[in-house]
Amino acid sequence: MVMRLWVNGVEKEVQAEEDTMLIDLLRDRLHLTGTKKSCCSGECGACTVLVDGLPFRSCITPALVCEGRRVETIEGLGDAAHVHPIQQAFVDAGAVQCGFCTPGMILTAKALLEKNPEPTEEEIVEAMSGNFCRCTGYVKILDAVRSLVPYRPQEKEEKG
Amino acid sequence: MEKSRKEKYIGRRMPRRDALVKAQGRAKYTADYRTADMLWGKAVFSGMAHARILRVDAAKAEALPGVVCVMTAKDLPAAKKYGIFCADKPVIAENMILYEGDPIAFIAAETKEIAEEAAALIEAEYEALPVVEDPREALRDDVPPIHENHPVTGNAKVMAEVTLDRGDVDAAFAEADIILEDDFETPQIEHVYLEPDCCIARWVDDTDVLEIVAPQQAVYSTLRALAPVFGLPESRVRFISPYVGGGFGGKEDSCCDLAVIAGLLAMKTRRKVYSEFTAEEVFRYTGKRHGSYVHHRMAATKDGRVIGLDIDIILDKGAYQSMSGLTGGPHAVAQRTVLYAAGPYSVENVRIRSRAVFTNHPYGAAMRGFGAPQIHFAGESQMNELAHRLNMDPVAIRKLNMITPERPTSFGQVLTEENGLGLEECMDKVKAELDKPFMPKHPVRPSQRRGMGLAAYIYGTGMPYKSEGAMCVVHVNRDASVEVGISTTEMGQGAQTVMAQIAAEALGVPVETVNVPLPDTFLSPDSGPTVASRSTTFVGNAILDACRKLLAGFTEAVAHGVGCSPEEVTYAKGVFAAPDGQEIPLRRAIYMAATQAIPQSAVGIWYPPVDIGFGPKGGNSMHTYSFGCQGIDLLLDVETGEIELLRSVLACDIGHALNPQLVEGQMEGGAVMGLGYALTEGVEYKKGVVSNDSMKDYVILGFKDLPQMTSIIVEAANCMGPFGAKGVGEPPLVATAPAVREAIRNASDGVKLNRIPFTPERVITGIYKAKEGGQTS
Ligand code: FES
Ligand code: FES
Repeated sequence: MVMRLWVNGVEKEVQAEEDTMLIDLLRDRLHLTGTKKSCCSGECGACTVLVDGLPFRSCITPALVCEGRRVETIEGLGDAAHVHPIQQAFVDAGAVQCGFCTPGMILTAKALLEKNPEPTEEEIVEAMSGNFCRCTGYVKILDAVRSLVPYRPQEKEEKG
Repeated sequence: MEKSRKEKYIGRRMPRRDALVKAQGRAKYTADYRTADMLWGKAVFSGMAHARILRVDAAKAEALPGVVCVMTAKDLPAAKKYGIFCADKPVIAENMILYEGDPIAFIAAETKEIAEEAAALIEAEYEALPVVEDPREALRDDVPPIHENHPVTGNAKVMAEVTLDRGDVDAAFAEADIILEDDFETPQIEHVYLEPDCCIARWVDDTDVLEIVAPQQAVYSTLRALAPVFGLPESRVRFISPYVGGGFGGKEDSCCDLAVIAGLLAMKTRRKVYSEFTAEEVFRYTGKRHGSYVHHRMAATKDGRVIGLDIDIILDKGAYQSMSGLTGGPHAVAQRTVLYAAGPYSVENVRIRSRAVFTNHPYGAAMRGFGAPQIHFAGESQMNELAHRLNMDPVAIRKLNMITPERPTSFGQVLTEENGLGLEECMDKVKAELDKPFMPKHPVRPSQRRGMGLAAYIYGTGMPYKSEGAMCVVHVNRDASVEVGISTTEMGQGAQTVMAQIAAEALGVPVETVNVPLPDTFLSPDSGPTVASRSTTFVGNAILDACRKLLAGFTEAVAHGVGCSPEEVTYAKGVFAAPDGQEIPLRRAIYMAATQAIPQSAVGIWYPPVDIGFGPKGGNSMHTYSFGCQGIDLLLDVETGEIELLRSVLACDIGHALNPQLVEGQMEGGAVMGLGYALTEGVEYKKGVVSNDSMKDYVILGFKDLPQMTSIIVEAANCMGPFGAKGVGEPPLVATAPAVREAIRNASDGVKLNRIPFTPERVITGIYKAKEGGQTS
């Protein structure tokens, strides 16, 4: 069937069946390959996207769940000319190695910071804890998120 | 090491050049190149770990609409087996299943769903055979050999046997004051790179070339291993490795397992084929870090000197060769366990034997540390035991035994300060850091006990072969921008960034103008595999060589142009200065070279200026070694066996840090991977079939498990490294497990755990057994 949703602020009409997962809709039908497919069973967080601002694992989320909703992928945050402050923080902190976990990490951090611009250390760890990384040992990812607190995206965006 | 350096880019915390594209989702990995017109290539497996194949019938699968082709063993066009060291792994199994990852058929279909449906239609009959899981058991006379007709070993049970025999071990044990004897055990480990293996292959019809895109650590090794399978000369197979989502040693081999599927199907169908393993299939079918069983005997004097070692190592080889090494060479994992059996210590009398023994497990492959984590678990645990026995400080006893310019390695290699000997500094710094007061953030429960421990390591940079060297091509464009041609993979370590720093520094050009393309066998020269913590040192030196050659040529061109001798021309920061005061920018010099038949590209090459050659009596193995020390501080719950990590303090002597931010990244990632090795990880089997095949059941550490992490870079420069560098990628996890063991021992009044991972069940069993009076192992 044809479904309607907003992806990175743009309204889309796409074909989706009941068993179409959001990740496949994004990667295969909308060619947004920034969302990474890893465990494909909801365990690693690499495929995280935001649905109405909340982190969802797109590999286990049926696409139809997003009917009429706002989906945000890593491509929606910034591009070469407009670097989002969270992306910049990851670059500056050295939080990116192989990069496969990175889009999911950044979107998870975004969901946290938008809801709670001044998270405590425990709140950061709690919010990020479902995302796994095999390369970095997490230290610099935490550094990146911490460097954004208190989170004032507008201000930082203008600067960056 | 003096910190104020004259270099512009070297030693600086430069952000990696691929960070932004990855943070924005613009970086393309192999699967991101898949398009709808590609066929779906799928391998079919038996679900068994050991069986004789009686019949495979693909007729029904072939008849399914949408299936384009089905291949079984009889359809293979050329070589039927492959492997990087020796061709022993069947492309498609014909008679025997030796582990669960032996495919029985390949299918190409219009869609994934059709391919899966067709796979279910393949009919096969097997005769199940007894599964051999424990390599010690495999060696028993009443257990038949796994291979009946191995291309190298015939029906032998041992794939590789490497020995080291020096001094008089029996005399050392006879005169020892103390003899320690123990058994240590480590499981097979999955790499758990986040990017599952996948591959895109296409037949390029207008040039008769097979083109294969896949995440790989060693495009030239893949090429050499697989060209015979396709029946093509190496010059007509093109391997490309885009960004790689983690490798850790695994993507030296696993890429071959995927490339044969997609490659053969693409040749046969003349269509583009995409093939992938799901995360579960990666767990089940791809290579693992070798499991190990170490029988360790140590002879020491009462003042703490180790005078003899008698060590027998048995490695779980799994079903195929992969990276265990061959008995007569090339040596690989088996040899490294021998090389590092004495750890970073000088021991005169050693008798060490390592055997890689076939089992029905997934093949023992390369994984970060390449044999070193296994043998350091035994050796460093034993060193700590010796310290306890003598009531000595663990650092003091290590200093007493460590390698110095006067005291060579156990294999007889003399290391001088110029090689970089930073172990002492590493240990002092770790101890000082652990000695600082540290309070857990939460109240400690009455059942929690605190314990600290440390362990040290040695790890060579590069591989111990005469063929171990690197080649590159550096090309300078007319606008003085630079291309560095290498086959080093970018799998997260930051190779592109460091190589650009090296080239920019050497040529005196802005780093932004240096391009380091990703590996492509049609375009990149062979700079060797991206393994063995070798790239920065070997490939970096080759780049320096090429840059020197280029500048020599341009200097000559300038000298000729202005009419002086080349010795009179100087070069700095992009400008040549002639004796008459003329200043010639690099751009002009390049043009002058172009008009004087002086090349604007140079081949750089570097082989270590050391006579390499390891044998049963020892010999030089690598040109330099990295050293380090890992300290652990933890809380042990003596009622539940649960461990809470408080602090990890890691000091690594990595020579000069060319980019400290990247070095810290390797150290932090390595430490956490090492902590997982110690605490949670290990492949489990049911009848040889992997039973914990997902991240739910195979637990890697996450944010919540993190202790306070301290990374201390120690810079004992390697006089042969580019700007003093030596290897950093693998070493950080080598000493983690024995340090955790020691911290548990100290938290529990002496419980000795000799088998990782230290799960709560194992810890609590250890505590109970110790209470009952017996000791554990
Ligand atoms: S890919 Fe979705 S959670 Fe791992
Ligand atoms: S950067 Fe490789 S998995 Fe996180």
